[in-house]
Amino acid sequence: MNDRPLDPQALALDGDGYLLRLDDWTPAVAEALARNEGLDLQPEHWEILEALRAFYREFQLSPATRPLVRYIAQALGPDKGNSAHLNRLFKGTPAKLAAKLAGLPKPTNCL
Amino acid sequence: MATLHLLSHSPFSDERFASCLRLLGERDGLLLSGDAVHALQPGTAPRDALERLPASVALLVLEDDLNARGLSDRQPARARVIDYPGFVDACLQYAKVNSWL
Amino acid sequence: MARSLLIVSRQAPWSGPHAREALDMALAGGAYDLPIALLFLDDGVFQLQRGQQPGALEQKDLGANLQALPLFGVESLYACRHSLQTRGLAEDTLLLPVQVLDAPGLRELLDAHDEVVTI
Repeated sequence: MNDRPLDPQALALDGDGYLLRLDDWTPAVAEALARNEGLDLQPEHWEILEALRAFYREFQLSPATRPLVRYIAQALGPDKGNSAHLNRLFKGTPAKLAAKLAGLPKPTNCL
Repeated sequence: MATLHLLSHSPFSDERFASCLRLLGERDGLLLSGDAVHALQPGTAPRDALERLPASVALLVLEDDLNARGLSDRQPARARVIDYPGFVDACLQYAKVNSWL
Repeated sequence: MARSLLIVSRQAPWSGPHAREALDMALAGGAYDLPIALLFLDDGVFQLQRGQQPGALEQKDLGANLQALPLFGVESLYACRHSLQTRGLAEDTLLLPVQVLDAPGLRELLDAHDEVVTI
């Protein structure tokens, strides 16, 4: 491993920019995908991404916005699990963007 | 809110008929089409079950399917034989339709 | 007020697409905060069997997905007692907290909803 930034071009992505293989995910991959979206990942992003990956391990699907908010509220408390906080962190589309950065499939039950 | 239940599978090879009777409310209707018409076969358990339904439950049978299966004139007195326009009318008379696909 | 929907899921989990379709319908409705209830009937109750290991089938894990229903806001979950009993499924072994209903309860449930879809 080296510290060189990962080239998003080198990742196998679907047409919407989601990882094709969940196992390809690493924190470096998340950072590369975030840069692609013009986002600089901070600890407050990482805790959401980690919670999302736990969600996926348990339920084997990507949550839509409402269940995402509910789950984050249960996992990290209501000051984190609310749409204002999540919208701010993930450019207004938390379910889609956070799933993408966490290496999950695109949520299917989401506008 | 009364429901019209649509059945089209034979009660002799499929569980839909029995389960439908379990869910059937007193004000509901039951419409038999396709192989569900075999439920009217005289001397069988499904036929007996239909005869025992509360009088408030409407029993409708699609005429073409009844005739095709040799059961015309053998249906119980409580059954109302309907054509396709009658099918549509029946669907509109109930608050909702439950199709046992 | 949105019209309430009862989804009746009556296919076994790995025999075809219907169990998945019923679940997807429930998840989609729940994500939009629609009043949705889900009833497991006939072979549909086999979806509630614990310990399903469908890995070799290369399909999404229905059992894991089912457990997401409460987070999707679908908390009205029911199963038919007759269907459970005839299939040897004990209530306390199911993978979801469902309310188990006898025939009168099933009739009330159906009557209480604006729409019903049986899959």
